[in-house]
Amino acid sequence: MKRKLSMITFVIMTVFLLAGCGSDENVIEFWTPLTGEDGAYMDQLVEDYNATDPEYPVNHVITSDLYTQIYTVLQSASGIPDLTLIHADRVPSFAKNDLLVPMDNVMSLQTELKEDNYLPEAWNAGIVDGTQYTIPLDIHGSAMYYNIDLMEEYGVTHWLDDDIVTIDEMLELEGKMAEGQYVVNDALLGWVALAQLQNYGGDIEGSNGEPTVNTPEMRSVIEDLRSINDAGLMTPFGEDGYLMFQSGNVLFSTDGTWSRLAHEQVEGLNFGITNVYSHSADIFHNRSSAHLFSMLRNEERTAEKEAGIADFLEFMRENSIDWAEAGQIVASREVVEADDYDQFMQSFYTKNEKEEDSLFIYTYEHYPYVAEALDDYIADIVHGEMDIDEGLEEMQRFVDDRVAEGDAELEDAADAVEDFDDEQ
Amino acid sequence: MNNNKHSHWFFIGPHIILFLVFILIPSIYGVYASFTNWNLMTSPTWVGLDNYQTILFNQDSSFHLEFFNGLKNTLIFVVISVPLMIIIPLLIATAIEHKDVKFKNFFQSIIYIPGLISISAAALIWSLIFNSQLGVMSNLFGSDTVWTATQPYAWMTIFIMTVWGGIGGNMIIYRASISGVSEDLYESAEIDGAGPIRKFFSITLPSIRFPLIYTVVMTTAGAFNVFGQPLMMTNGGPRESTSVLMMYIRDLAFGSGQSIAGIASAMAVLMGMIILIISAAQYYVMNRNSA
Repeated sequence: MKRKLSMITFVIMTVFLLAGCGSDENVIEFWTPLTGEDGAYMDQLVEDYNATDPEYPVNHVITSDLYTQIYTVLQSASGIPDLTLIHADRVPSFAKNDLLVPMDNVMSLQTELKEDNYLPEAWNAGIVDGTQYTIPLDIHGSAMYYNIDLMEEYGVTHWLDDDIVTIDEMLELEGKMAEGQYVVNDALLGWVALAQLQNYGGDIEGSNGEPTVNTPEMRSVIEDLRSINDAGLMTPFGEDGYLMFQSGNVLFSTDGTWSRLAHEQVEGLNFGITNVYSHSADIFHNRSSAHLFSMLRNEERTAEKEAGIADFLEFMRENSIDWAEAGQIVASREVVEADDYDQFMQSFYTKNEKEEDSLFIYTYEHYPYVAEALDDYIADIVHGEMDIDEGLEEMQRFVDDRVAEGDAELEDAADAVEDFDDEQ
Repeated sequence: MNNNKHSHWFFIGPHIILFLVFILIPSIYGVYASFTNWNLMTSPTWVGLDNYQTILFNQDSSFHLEFFNGLKNTLIFVVISVPLMIIIPLLIATAIEHKDVKFKNFFQSIIYIPGLISISAAALIWSLIFNSQLGVMSNLFGSDTVWTATQPYAWMTIFIMTVWGGIGGNMIIYRASISGVSEDLYESAEIDGAGPIRKFFSITLPSIRFPLIYTVVMTTAGAFNVFGQPLMMTNGGPRESTSVLMMYIRDLAFGSGQSIAGIASAMAVLMGMIILIISAAQYYVMNRNSA
């Protein structure tokens, strides 16, 4: 009898535990990669939305390894989230592999979710072959912070007059810097290079869709960056240039818009924000990315829940000014044009059309491989640890091999589908 | 009696289920994936030995270069770190077990505690220690070397952090084993005129043969799987001279672009085979010599 009782207790507990693992079908499961303070700000926004007592409240789940988790649930076809926040560079491959649901229905349910109400670069990042797969939350990317006190000390505040610091201007300080002080750090150097590539009119995609890294334009970019390093004006190889900027020894730091929060916490650091430096005063770009709301293909998502998602996205469009606290350039026109938004430093990048146009998001399908190659090699090449020709060839091979591997797989998959069709 | 007929399943069952679900089935699937092209998004496509052929023989392929560079760097780490991770804890354990040493548990705790700190946190601590601007090391030696970006210092920072965090576990195993060795043996040896070194090699080492084999095999296997230390301390640099195989495997499978899980799995299988062969050889050699 005692044994039977134990068995029954065990079964009941197991059922309850398993029930606890399940999800509430009236809740929108919303996955994001937002860790740290970003996650806390998004939690607050979701909490604010849920306080409006919606029919479909949102459950915000932070997964630092979002894409691995997405692959896992897609493979198992179970536990697929209703809504995900993905980066712009993931959209082309996700769409090509038919993992995303177009936003057409969501946009028809909430008619203000439309192109005119968002920054164009963020909106367009979600379009693949004419289909809108995402609704944007923000643009985030390269920013250049400057140390106001240090610029005054060296008498170079006039560099900021036209909002473009040129490489020639930076080279004016060659041999004039005090020991241990530098003009610029090498933080996010790969992003800086990708911005410069646009300044030179280059691209990472060839006319036939092939990746192009080893190009004359990329060579020019690297030679420019190397000239700053060779003049002793860039923080040394391997040094934590970000930390050196915060410690007041570097004029410019090329890191991200979100770094404002960290810089603000440094006592005595008097800083401002401007565009990433350029080789010419006539052109400038800031390499960017975007957080985009998307829906992974999921048979279990009901039409009612999709309406709930539309309501949530409309709430975010109207109320995402709090997201600016996280240092991001909010994508909603209503927010960036509000007076309150001017208090945020990153409003610099939406203050006029020219600035908005400078925010450049790469949407090439194989961009992530190019970015990875640059991240792996650019510091070695710019700091002279690696020959420029060798570096360019290595990066091109790195990307070519990865693209070829992916293409082979897609061809095999297409052949398999063809064979299957033939058999039917 | 009949009631106990299947009782062993209740003891071993949970472990077998966990082993099957989290180790055996994923391992078999990993081996299968190594014979496929797979981006984790669509179904794997069978390509036979193509991935292995590319990795091992296609000298123009970046995967070939990455595999052999990663393997070389992993072997450097294994060859240098494993002896350190065996000899240092063994010496410490022997010293602590000496009858004249007091506060044995205090010293043991000091050496064991770093092993409880996560690699990420430890790497942050050591990165600051080796920071050329703010760090203790540069100030101590009056050096302006960027430790983590200059060889051989980049490797040194990795080894120092590894030894700091990793010797505690082995030391406890050795200490427990040494404390189990009969005092009579040492007393007899002393009567026969044996000194401390002779006692160590003729009594202590043979007496802890099995723990020694176990720690050598497990430390070697663990060293082959090194990932966190080079990732956090040097990010594989300078010039990929500290990029280990696990970093390449992880980047290929779960990097920023579309996954190349087939090649990554093939690299992982090759590494698994190397670990298996080396571990078996270690076990065979050590067991035979001490039998």
